[in-house]
Amino acid sequence: MEKILQVKNLELSFNTQGGEVKAIRGVNFDLNKGETLAIVGESGSGKSVTTKSIMRLLPESSAEFKNGEILFGGRDLTKLSDKEMQKIRGKEISMIFQDPMTSLNPTMPIGRQLTEPLLKHQKISKNEAKKVAIDLLRMVGMPKPELRMKQYPHQFSGGQRQRIVIAISLACNPKILIADEPTTALDVTIQAQILELMKDLQKKIDTSIIFITHDLGVVANVADRVAVMYGGKIVEIGTVDEIFYNPQHPYTWGLLSSMPSLDTEDAKLYAIPGTPPDLLDPPKGDAFALRSEYALKIDMEQNPPFFKVSDTHSAATWLLHPDAPQVEPPLTVIERMKKFPGSRYYEGGAV
Amino acid sequence: MAEKLLEIKNLKQYFNIGKANEVRAVDDISFDIYKGETLGLVGESGCGKSTTGRSIIRLYDATDGDVFYEGENVHGKKSKQDLKKFNRKMQMIFQDPYASLNQRMKVMDIIAEGIDIHGLAKNSTERKKMVYDLLETVGLNKEHANRYPHEFSGGQRQRLGIARALAVDPDFIIADEPISALDVSIQAQVVNLLKELQQEKGLTFLFIAHDLSMVKYISDRIGVMYFGKLVELAPAEELYNNPLHPYTQSLLSAIPLPDPNYERNRIRKSYDPAIHKYTEADDVRMREISPGHFVQCSEREFESIKSASVSK
Amino acid sequence: MTQKIDKIPELPKGSFERITLDAHQAERITKPSVSFWQDAWYRIRKNKGALFSIVLFGLIVIMAFLGPVISPYAPNAQTITHANLPPKIPVIEKLGILDGVGTLGGKEVDLYEMKNVEVNYWFGTDGLGRDMFSRVWKGTQVSLFIAFVAAAIDMLIGVIYGGISGYFGGRVDDFMQRVVEILTGIPNLVVVILFILIMDPGILAIIIALTITGWTGMSRVVRGQVLKYKSQEFVLAARTLGASDTRIIWKHLMPNVLGVIIINTMFTIPSAIFFEAFLSFIGLGLQAPDASLGTLINDGYALIQFAPHILAFPAILLSLIMIAFNLIGDGLRDALDPKMKD
Repeated sequence: MEKILQVKNLELSFNTQGGEVKAIRGVNFDLNKGETLAIVGESGSGKSVTTKSIMRLLPESSAEFKNGEILFGGRDLTKLSDKEMQKIRGKEISMIFQDPMTSLNPTMPIGRQLTEPLLKHQKISKNEAKKVAIDLLRMVGMPKPELRMKQYPHQFSGGQRQRIVIAISLACNPKILIADEPTTALDVTIQAQILELMKDLQKKIDTSIIFITHDLGVVANVADRVAVMYGGKIVEIGTVDEIFYNPQHPYTWGLLSSMPSLDTEDAKLYAIPGTPPDLLDPPKGDAFALRSEYALKIDMEQNPPFFKVSDTHSAATWLLHPDAPQVEPPLTVIERMKKFPGSRYYEGGAV
Repeated sequence: MAEKLLEIKNLKQYFNIGKANEVRAVDDISFDIYKGETLGLVGESGCGKSTTGRSIIRLYDATDGDVFYEGENVHGKKSKQDLKKFNRKMQMIFQDPYASLNQRMKVMDIIAEGIDIHGLAKNSTERKKMVYDLLETVGLNKEHANRYPHEFSGGQRQRLGIARALAVDPDFIIADEPISALDVSIQAQVVNLLKELQQEKGLTFLFIAHDLSMVKYISDRIGVMYFGKLVELAPAEELYNNPLHPYTQSLLSAIPLPDPNYERNRIRKSYDPAIHKYTEADDVRMREISPGHFVQCSEREFESIKSASVSK
Repeated sequence: MTQKIDKIPELPKGSFERITLDAHQAERITKPSVSFWQDAWYRIRKNKGALFSIVLFGLIVIMAFLGPVISPYAPNAQTITHANLPPKIPVIEKLGILDGVGTLGGKEVDLYEMKNVEVNYWFGTDGLGRDMFSRVWKGTQVSLFIAFVAAAIDMLIGVIYGGISGYFGGRVDDFMQRVVEILTGIPNLVVVILFILIMDPGILAIIIALTITGWTGMSRVVRGQVLKYKSQEFVLAARTLGASDTRIIWKHLMPNVLGVIIINTMFTIPSAIFFEAFLSFIGLGLQAPDASLGTLINDGYALIQFAPHILAFPAILLSLIMIAFNLIGDGLRDALDPKMKD
């Protein structure tokens, strides 16, 4: 697998009035060519901040890289100047955001917004750019693209605007597309259409996608691999099957059990008690321990390192240490594990 | 046979009537809500589910139609006292945990507002006690009473909103997308709380949401809305296992579930209202296909759906 | 791929004991509670410019009352023989400034010596021999009084008008806004001049002139805020609880609109002072011998070549007051900015 992006030991803090907010506290992951990596987490987990750091979109006055590197195309993105980053943004790495209302400039016809990146990054004439733009609109499923080029964002629906945003982001065939909760604000049927579109385009353009979301259903639909973030760190990372059918971190268990499944019926939903940690003063041990019924004494003292579960699957929890006691995950998680060859609870004969 | 708590009959809520931008948010819907049940109301943006909730509780004056609460009409000419009576019986929980609490008021006063308006506490000691009890009921601490909303997380604020609604001891609560703005793990906290409260206090809920999995979990019956109309109404299990209206089928087929194998095999159905080919002559209304399962259809469609389900 | 550990870390015995946690602890809020106003005050304190301005303004107000009292001369008392004396302050004169020296016929002359004046006029005297010190402070008093009363009336009318218009909406709002538009359409100065012609020029006339159209700014701002807040969910929640309109307006809308009202008033005051000064400058303001900063500037303007001090002191004071209010207003706006916590 060719690695197209490598994030190593990334640490980033915000210098605020109240002090230093450690938004990212040591994040490691790679992005392979052609795959979709989903980053899952809740508010405050650091998932948006991580991707904005890759794009260097955070205000330089308050956001500070404390450690680590982001390797792309043989260069460390954390060390590049803004001018050099401008050559990368929109061309090599593109980003789409959650709110299609505010992602588009309301005072510019969408045709211009589409040709803008083309003209900036590529040496083509205005007419050629227009042609490419029309093709892009057609590619994202917009009917009558020639007419719509002259229209303004407010004349489109939410789903249509998101299609335009996707078209703009893919205009220069970027190597990486970062999608930050692109379907969260959309209705379920529109969401389904947009996800189908993205998967389709990914195959056509052969781009790698980092997909941020808090919706595990969407993750199951789009992801090849999944990274679960909590409190500024990745707590578990693996293939989509490994994460959904053989999760190892109590937070992942919590997330999976707090969603009703078709079998839940009347059983009480497992709810993770409490709230995410305050990153102004992060706990020195395992950040999730305070909310976990599986907490160990060591969780209060030291942050767990990553323990390998398979070549593609690791989790940062002391529960995977050889000396740790065997614990029983929540019932819904056990039900999932029953279907996964290689898990403790696998029923179904030999692996 | 369960008692009916609410009867909504031919409710219509139109905005900007007669003008070019007339919006028929709720367009002639009828359904009943039984005592002690949780009725889920789902649909996508613009379908009118929130407007329905707000019309029932009379935040809007209905354009037409009636809402009967225990036999009494909520709409129509009413005195201030009558309206106040309804305020004690029906309450609402809102979607936005940030905008639903007055930033300038202390939690104590926010929760006690209903108590103050209706004079439910004889003195300030009793008032305080009532607020503390309510805070405990929703899983928060007494100390929180002296704090301001901005000091709480989203999930905690939603619980404050629930405490506020409970302060007047209502029988019926409309929950208008109460968990949409919350993180997944916090949603479970709030949903569990609502279920607990329902058991303890015998509350009746109208649960408005667009997250279909959560709605199925919490509701006894579910109504599906599409552009101001109710297209299907059935017990929760029945709706999911046997959706009859093509829109419901399309909606359910679009939900992604946290199960990669299911996702790999899921095929989405799309819905086009034109397939019905309704004409002026068609009498399109809610018809009962099987006990408790209603679908909006014409006479023609009714026959075909009925025969299809019989042959199943 | 991910950070791999090479060696399983050795940990002390007992590290892997399971512990139970109190879920209630998870709900605790540890930071001290701070209300919106406390937080605003804290933020204002950190704004050096605003803080300095508040102090400065405080001093000016004190002097406005003390000034005429501590000066041995009444503001309107004339001593013709002491006319047009430059300022002379006992201690500072040793530094070479404010030492009673002015130019006369191109030469620097100690005018006090020349006119045989024994006493010190700290701010000098004007063309009629009146003590500038007490006049300037008396003028400040008058100007501030006019400005504050005008701002208060503006605020009252503006808040009520804008509040009603915004809260009731619909046709009431449409009608009320058309009225506002007509009022703002008429040139302000024309209205003022007409008024002053009808009434006798004086403090009352100026106040009425200032407020006759001045309230529209406040009403617009208040209406905007009320429109914004009245459809917010916490207001809807109050309505479903059975709150009356009065309760909603006072308990829910007003506290949220108050910030904007205060800020707007802070900016209304300097513009009122300036407008009064302007009116007096063009002769429509107070009549002699009454002093306001505007009339003093008007008087001083005529003698600017010979006795600049007559213009300088009121002008400096006017500028200081306006700058101070603008800085305070800016500081308040930053402090009360609702975006901070939401």
